[in-house]
Amino acid sequence: MPLNSTTPEERLVAIVDDDTGSSICRPDPMVSIPRHGVAVAAVGDPVFQVEQLSLAYPARGREPAVEILSDVSFAVGRGASLTLVGPSGSGKSTLLRCLNRLEEPTGGRVRFHDRDTTSLDPLELRRRAALVLQTPVLFEGTVRDNLRMQPRTSTTDLSEARLVHALAEVGLDPGFLDRDGATLSGGEKQRVTISRALLGDPQALLLDEPTASLDPPNAAILVDTISGLRQSRGLTIVAITHQPELIRRLGGCLLYLVKGRAETYECIDDLAPTITDGCLRAFLAGERFRATP
Amino acid sequence: MMPTAGVIDLSVWQVGLAAVLVGVVIVISARQALGLERDLVVGTVRTIVQLYLVGLILASVFTAGRWYWVALVLIVMTLVATQAAVSRLKKPIPGRYEIAATAIVVSTAMTLGWVIAVVVRVHPWYEPQYVIPIAGMILGNAMTSAALAGDRLQSDLRARTNEIEAMLALGFPGSEAVQPMVRSAVRAAMIPTGSGMMTVGLVQLPGMMTGQILAGASPLVAIEYQIVVVFMLAVATSVASLLFVRLAVRRYLTPAHQLRRYLL
Repeated sequence: MPLNSTTPEERLVAIVDDDTGSSICRPDPMVSIPRHGVAVAAVGDPVFQVEQLSLAYPARGREPAVEILSDVSFAVGRGASLTLVGPSGSGKSTLLRCLNRLEEPTGGRVRFHDRDTTSLDPLELRRRAALVLQTPVLFEGTVRDNLRMQPRTSTTDLSEARLVHALAEVGLDPGFLDRDGATLSGGEKQRVTISRALLGDPQALLLDEPTASLDPPNAAILVDTISGLRQSRGLTIVAITHQPELIRRLGGCLLYLVKGRAETYECIDDLAPTITDGCLRAFLAGERFRATP
Repeated sequence: MMPTAGVIDLSVWQVGLAAVLVGVVIVISARQALGLERDLVVGTVRTIVQLYLVGLILASVFTAGRWYWVALVLIVMTLVATQAAVSRLKKPIPGRYEIAATAIVVSTAMTLGWVIAVVVRVHPWYEPQYVIPIAGMILGNAMTSAALAGDRLQSDLRARTNEIEAMLALGFPGSEAVQPMVRSAVRAAMIPTGSGMMTVGLVQLPGMMTGQILAGASPLVAIEYQIVVVFMLAVATSVASLLFVRLAVRRYLTPAHQLRRYLL
């Protein structure tokens, strides 16, 4: 259907600008696009509840204030997963970092296990909701040194057996313990950072494009690792990724952000295995995702 | 040339002859298209004007011999040093003037106080002949080390943001996450002082020692003063850079151990 044959209202919702220009998507006439900030379906036993979250960086000198997030709401239940998608600059990373309070929202609130995150010790919150960054950071020294890089206040068991087990969980053999972190491949480094985060026994894993800097074979291994961890540990996962296989394997719900606003929220499961929203579908490069039973 | 009290008093013409050397460089710059002519001319004029003005002011202050004139000179020198230290920062740090002033004032006051009251034992304590040149040396070095430390801190925080955030994400407090950057900033600021201490007297005769020898003092007296100066500057630069970095790094962290990335 040519764009000029639609009504002005349809055209308004059909255009989703991104940073690189504009991409055009057509909403499925059977699916309505939710209003901004709409609260999504209630989930049982929520781990994260995000309510009308906003974040703006203050004006400085001649630079005006910059709005990063506006009126975003969602919830993620225990053991569930949520994937954040959207063009670059849409606020995905900032939103993820609000969940473990690496960023401070300027409006709304985040609850972790029903408690406002501002009432929790931020350092403890970060151990319970572990963040894995897009670019793996390994500190100087061996993999063992890196795994033992835990806060002094942490009561984590850092025995040799525990380290070996932590590596095994991400598919690395004990021989890696003595390897210099600088000599690992990108995929191995990323798996070590996940292993290090898991040593603190988190309840939730926050993943910021974990496969973005990896080649396809390493990305596939990491997808297997993350998917396996979710099942073995029952972890709640909030991930930013545009990796179709990771989205498919994580299942759960997708939140589509555009310019800091929640444009679409959609869940894929056995009953609704296909993404129906036109904009989201178009954004995901026309891929038609089907959740694996 | 007119020798007076062991010093050859230079006439205006003699000073002018020294400026001929700069004129030669200006000609070379023009011929080689180096584009340094304007800076050299402005720098030459400023050197002459600023130093003559300072000479006149100091001569008046020395003659008056009042503590409040000495204090006023020290305050003006401190304000200029603070402004100069802050102006070298590539990106503004909130509260940068208070931070630089605190670092410079504390490091200068403690070092100057010790040297004047305990080491040299100047009477009266505000004797301008001692206080002003010694304070000037301390302020200048404190200013440079604070600026170097601030610059290095900013660039390290920017370059190593991922490292800091990885530590914060693991549950480390902000102060521990930025400790490597604090250490490297202070070390960078101390490099000139450290290397200067290693080669002092071997590569070049330090300014104060040169001045005293030119003024007719015995080289043995001059080195004693120079040793005091080297120790004094080592302390002042360490304290100034450490204070500046410690105070500045707090501005990049929130009480909730978050890195204010928008400041980088």
